[in-house]
Amino acid sequence: MTREEERWAVLETIGAYAAGELDGEEARAAERLMLERPDHRRLAESYTRMLVMLTALGDEPVEAPDAIIGYAVRRAYTSAFLRQAENVFADLGRSYLDAFVYYLGLRTPAQPG
Amino acid sequence: MTGSERELISGAARGDLESFRRLVQEHSDLVYRVALRIVGRESAQDASQEVWVRVWRNIKAFRGDSAFSTWLYKITVNTCLNAKKQEAQRALREYSAEVPYLPEPSGTDADPESLTLGAERREELLRALDHVRAEHRAAVVLRHMEDLPYAEIAEILDVPDGTAKVWASRGRAALLVALSNQEADSRDDNGSRP
Repeated sequence: MTREEERWAVLETIGAYAAGELDGEEARAAERLMLERPDHRRLAESYTRMLVMLTALGDEPVEAPDAIIGYAVRRAYTSAFLRQAENVFADLGRSYLDAFVYYLGLRTPAQPG
Repeated sequence: MTGSERELISGAARGDLESFRRLVQEHSDLVYRVALRIVGRESAQDASQEVWVRVWRNIKAFRGDSAFSTWLYKITVNTCLNAKKQEAQRALREYSAEVPYLPEPSGTDADPESLTLGAERREELLRALDHVRAEHRAAVVLRHMEDLPYAEIAEILDVPDGTAKVWASRGRAALLVALSNQEADSRDDNGSRP
């Protein structure tokens, strides 16, 4: 492990401890890191502050602009309309084809019963 | 999932536009909120609109194996990550030998009880989030802002639980480094003023 990787490992370990995601031996190892060096203790405090900020930002209400709802519904209407139009034209095309085939005498009309 | 939500989903899957409209109305805040935090303010509206187009196209495929919100989170996060694809290869930002440090905030931000952020602090946090690799940012947003358990985050990101944890951990570390660098830059700016 390079020094850079070691530093990141310490950074992530203390972050996981501050987020309450470590227990048992892993938590003890993080506590040892913090006992050894005051800058690691400050790192844990910094993480705690950052996590409070993230939670606060996450708790802020966010309202979607009305334009999003309008756009989504318009797109759905357009796609439903196109789907229906496609079906109508497909049915119409099939009917014309059937009539043409009948006109050419290639098929006799189905007998009832 | 409530009974009425199930009815709306099956109605939308049959092509009923009113059911779809109500689904969009009920969930558009969730989609926009997550998009805002992953892709930022400039792209959040476009990303949200794209999410709903995908939902309309694919709602027939929703079988109810997971909660509708999990499925919606998944489409939202995928759409946002696609929008940010060019950033996917962003390397972990190097930081100096100094351990990152975030000083005690001043004013209203200093009150941990109030849990409210000042406008400046909020902007700093959003700017710093932009320095975090997209999938790590998504994991941080889902874990620490949406408060989701790792099992659900893993399902949304379509990765094993362990990977979801690693991404959140790397995202937290990168975010703290970015915040600490911003803090140091602003201290330098203030110090260099005549």
